[in-house]
Amino acid sequence: MQRDNSAPNRQKGKGRPRNSETAAASLVDVLNLVRLGRATTRQELEHVSEYGRAIIADRLATLTELGLVDESAAGIATGGRAPRLVKFIKDRARIVVVTFDQSAFGVGLADLSGKLLTEHHETADVTEQSMTVDRICTLINWLMTRQSEAPDLWGISISVPEPVLVDPNAAFLIEPTEFPPNWSNSGLIEVLMRRFQSPVWMHSSVETMTMGELRGGAGIAQQSMLFVKVGQRIGAGLVSNGQQYHGAAGAVGLIGQLPVTSGEATGSLDAMAGANMIKTRGIKAAHTGESTYLADVLARGAEISAIDICQAAQMGDAVCTEIIAQSGRLIGTIVATLVNMLNPQLVVLAGSIAQTNDILLASVRETVYGASHPLVTRDLRILRSQMSSSAALFGAASIAAEALFDPTFLKGWILLGSPTRHPDFLHRLETMNTNTQQADEGPPPAPRSRSKRA
Amino acid sequence: MTIVGLGPHGERASPPERVTLLPQDIAEARAKKLRVAIVMHTLESDWAKQLVQGMIGTLGECGAVVIDVVDCHFSSEAQIVALNRLREKSPDAIISLPVDNTAVTKAHLAISDAGIPLVLIDNVPTGMLPGKDYVSLVSADNFGLGKISAKLLSDHMPHGATAGILAYEADFFATNEREIAFSRWMEINRPDITVKTARFATAGAAGLEADQLMNDYPKIAGLFVVWDTPCIAVITAVSKRNPALPMTTVDLGREVTESLAKGGPVIGIAGQRPFQQGEAVARTTITALLDRRCPDWVALPGLKVSRSNVIECYQSIWREQAPRDILIGFDLTQTK
Repeated sequence: MQRDNSAPNRQKGKGRPRNSETAAASLVDVLNLVRLGRATTRQELEHVSEYGRAIIADRLATLTELGLVDESAAGIATGGRAPRLVKFIKDRARIVVVTFDQSAFGVGLADLSGKLLTEHHETADVTEQSMTVDRICTLINWLMTRQSEAPDLWGISISVPEPVLVDPNAAFLIEPTEFPPNWSNSGLIEVLMRRFQSPVWMHSSVETMTMGELRGGAGIAQQSMLFVKVGQRIGAGLVSNGQQYHGAAGAVGLIGQLPVTSGEATGSLDAMAGANMIKTRGIKAAHTGESTYLADVLARGAEISAIDICQAAQMGDAVCTEIIAQSGRLIGTIVATLVNMLNPQLVVLAGSIAQTNDILLASVRETVYGASHPLVTRDLRILRSQMSSSAALFGAASIAAEALFDPTFLKGWILLGSPTRHPDFLHRLETMNTNTQQADEGPPPAPRSRSKRA
Repeated sequence: MTIVGLGPHGERASPPERVTLLPQDIAEARAKKLRVAIVMHTLESDWAKQLVQGMIGTLGECGAVVIDVVDCHFSSEAQIVALNRLREKSPDAIISLPVDNTAVTKAHLAISDAGIPLVLIDNVPTGMLPGKDYVSLVSADNFGLGKISAKLLSDHMPHGATAGILAYEADFFATNEREIAFSRWMEINRPDITVKTARFATAGAAGLEADQLMNDYPKIAGLFVVWDTPCIAVITAVSKRNPALPMTTVDLGREVTESLAKGGPVIGIAGQRPFQQGEAVARTTITALLDRRCPDWVALPGLKVSRSNVIECYQSIWREQAPRDILIGFDLTQTK
């Protein structure tokens, strides 16, 4: 714990310096102890932080003024007067969370603890860049107006289906990223930052879903977890020592690139076991009439999706069951390699393909248990995620909440009362506005030609 | 018809056929002598009555005894009391329509924590997850209902007009989806139309809110009310000002159906299928009690009801003959 050496030398009484720069470190410590529930009374704060009573009182007064803690509730008395409970005001502001899929997006609001308060999902053609950006802004505004008291907005956390390469030392997104690859001109990040005047974070959906599963799903309290998302692409996330592993460049778990073989065919796991393969085989089975369920779907004029094949498999259609089981065996082969290497406590399968049927889970289990060392599988649990698409929103909210209160970033804004007043963020906004202004004004005029008109 | 919306957590819809019961399933369920409790937001609306009928009938066919049907009168306190009381009775399953998203969360979680399978209708309290905290959500495609309502109203709106939405104040999945979808459809298909929104806390207060909205925006040329019961209050409030103001709503309640059949002010309705939804809820419950996996979200498509098809839709939804007044209005029967 970083000590605030200036504080003990202060004199009691009015006029003592409180909101000084030197108090920031202890404010950060005290706030994070309260926020994470490690101390719930002044006594506990003194004990855990090792700050003196006067410092704790002073910092709590400051945090109360900033609207970040509340001491109005009484705790349980243990022999004397009941202590005042110190609570973090998680409703002080909101975090917006956005998740992109290949064909849908979701927008939600979370409190400062990362708890998802409300969410809305809708299908969309996300290749329509400007329409999608406008739509997201409209939905954010709608969600904010549905809040009973118009809260401040402190951050926007985005989950995207691609790996996102970001500066690991940056507190928030400083430079525009290359997502989506064909969205280079959408200005999504800039539009959101400018319109909502708040910092933005962006992570891959595998990262956010892994975080969501860790904080709110089957991964709660787990020290090691392998998370596998099965959709058009197949990716993995890793939790080690209770923390998400980010790798050197934030590109963890691109297992969809790994080659697998089925019969005489060899290809990447994405191509051989992903949603596109499932859909292609399903459409073929519908046209040939091998699958009566899918042939019926086709006869009704509906377009067959990978989800239809999953649902048909769940309803007992033999051809669809085999398509999904084959996908599960290939995924299981790769998961078995990872499990033997990493020895996780838990493997979680997620994504629309894994969550709409039992066949994939059964097939992956069978392959992993058959291909792994008994010591590795002795206590291993392989589950299907129960968080649905909420995992990405929940994880994105957790990532933003942790980033907002990261001690280094928090120290830069706590005395200003809001992360939106952090000097780095204001500088970023200013730079962005200057760049936009220059772009609007067009290139500087070319030097006048000295030649006279003919 | 296809389902256009997504579930409360982004789930893709499963059709009600996904929870089909075979004769052997019904025999197995009957042998279990199941006890099921139902907790409804209200029992006063026509929609709720039909839904309950569909549930009770199908549960009866499976030998499941319905031990209680509770009317919460839209009160979260009443629902919490009911859920806590029913939990003590240890039924095999509880079917609930949560009245809001926050206040009743704990009471619903306590049901699943007690090991009682919970099947939800139309709404999911915040933070509850399918498969973990509840078996399934069974609802209409509410996003689709909002789109149908917008399309129907659009046909009666002149270029550049203003449309009003009377939306529900409570954070409720079904009505949120209808409201969002209505605005979305207008945004894409009728960008010339401006949409203004007012919210009512109770169905009875919808009339006052509509009146205020009309005061604020006197040029409003059409209204969408997110379900039929408040729509009746809105018709009464607005008729003094403009008896011909076109309106659309959701649910083929008897009074709005009469208005539609007469030619207005209700000019179109997005119809739900409450009886079939009730049957799907019951089948989902039985499927779960037979230890089979249920889809996270079972959704039923809506019906586009206009004056031209109101009688057949009425029969299809309510499973009875359309009221005599309506038939007379269409010259389909003789007056006495």
